[in-house]
Amino acid sequence: MIASLVALPLTLLSLQQGIAQRLAGRVSPNVAAAVEGTGTAASARGLPVDPLIQKAIEGGAKGIADDRVIAAVNLVVSHLDTAAAALREGGASADTLTIAAGAFAVSAGLSGSDITALARVGATPAALTVGLRVAGTLAALGVPPAENIGLVSVSLRSGKPTADLLLLPASVESEVAKGSTPAAAAAGLSRAAAAQGRHGPPPGHGQPPHPPTPSHP
Amino acid sequence: MSDHDFHPRVKQLLDGDLTLADLPPELRAEGEEALRLLAAVDRRPVAFPTMTERVMLAVNTRPSPAGWRRMLEPREIRLRIRPWVLAPALALAAALIIWIAGPRTAAPAPSLVTVRFVLVAPEAKAVSLAGTFNQWDARATPLVRTGPNGTWTATLTLPAGQHQYAFVVDGVRWVPDPGAPAVDDGFGRRNSVLTL
Repeated sequence: MIASLVALPLTLLSLQQGIAQRLAGRVSPNVAAAVEGTGTAASARGLPVDPLIQKAIEGGAKGIADDRVIAAVNLVVSHLDTAAAALREGGASADTLTIAAGAFAVSAGLSGSDITALARVGATPAALTVGLRVAGTLAALGVPPAENIGLVSVSLRSGKPTADLLLLPASVESEVAKGSTPAAAAAGLSRAAAAQGRHGPPPGHGQPPHPPTPSHP
Repeated sequence: MSDHDFHPRVKQLLDGDLTLADLPPELRAEGEEALRLLAAVDRRPVAFPTMTERVMLAVNTRPSPAGWRRMLEPREIRLRIRPWVLAPALALAAALIIWIAGPRTAAPAPSLVTVRFVLVAPEAKAVSLAGTFNQWDARATPLVRTGPNGTWTATLTLPAGQHQYAFVVDGVRWVPDPGAPAVDDGFGRRNSVLTL
């Protein structure tokens, strides 16, 4: 109890100092004070603070008026809250990286229920984080939520390396360049991934059916 | 014999300006003697103590003050535990443990990915790149004009993860990357998105 009473003010003080240091000279004192307050409250709820700081710095760099910067920072907090709640509902362990990835997906147009659906896939936290980033990128490419979540879910379930997940936006862009719509491209890739999951990888891909025979001296 | 006693021509011999044969006959014996002495010089490198070594040597040789001597001498120490004295110390220790091992995300070292950014802007005088990877600093990452058709490029090595960015044309105009997906930046503009 005493330890908590001592540690909490220390942590808050350090957090506020950290935010102030990162914002010093980049935003007005008004914005810095607002972000310190918002960031401290967000951190107490287990949310990452870095996206708030980044948004404030971005606003300062772009010459945006203080009130609009503060509004944008508050919107980021709202996205983080939505993502954290959705991840909890989906049973995922919500570390700050995953929450930030979820907030990006929300900012790109996905909903809390979309985030929950991805969390329920049961991927590792690292894979889920990448999946959320990819889902956000697909949303930014114009892939509708249903096809988006379908494609990322089937890819996460396949257990493939996260590097394969990162290729999904480029694959959708490639199909779109050939004349497909983003929705159709994502749906096609999703069907292909599901079929591959049922029948195994195409010839020449994936693990060999039997381990190679060890060589004897 | 000191070098002051040598004839100036012999000194020239020692400096390598003359050979023994260049000396007049009356100076050759002196020249040979000088060369013999020179050959006998010990040329092994001499290790001068560094500043730290000299200071530590002085410290070690200085007699310890009485207080230090008392601390260095072995003696019996008896500890009597008083809980009411220990409580604040334990509280502070617990606070420090919580502080150190608090709820921070243990982020693994991110892998790096090299990315080439390209913008075609024939009318631009200058183009730079600003984003989450350089604290949105519009001067930090200038692009280089690489072709006659106004192609500007920059190659960066970025940590794996998700980045947002925009091109800054002529220091004032923020332009999203036409070749990348984009999201609302919250200020009425668009940020390009890069997921690595």
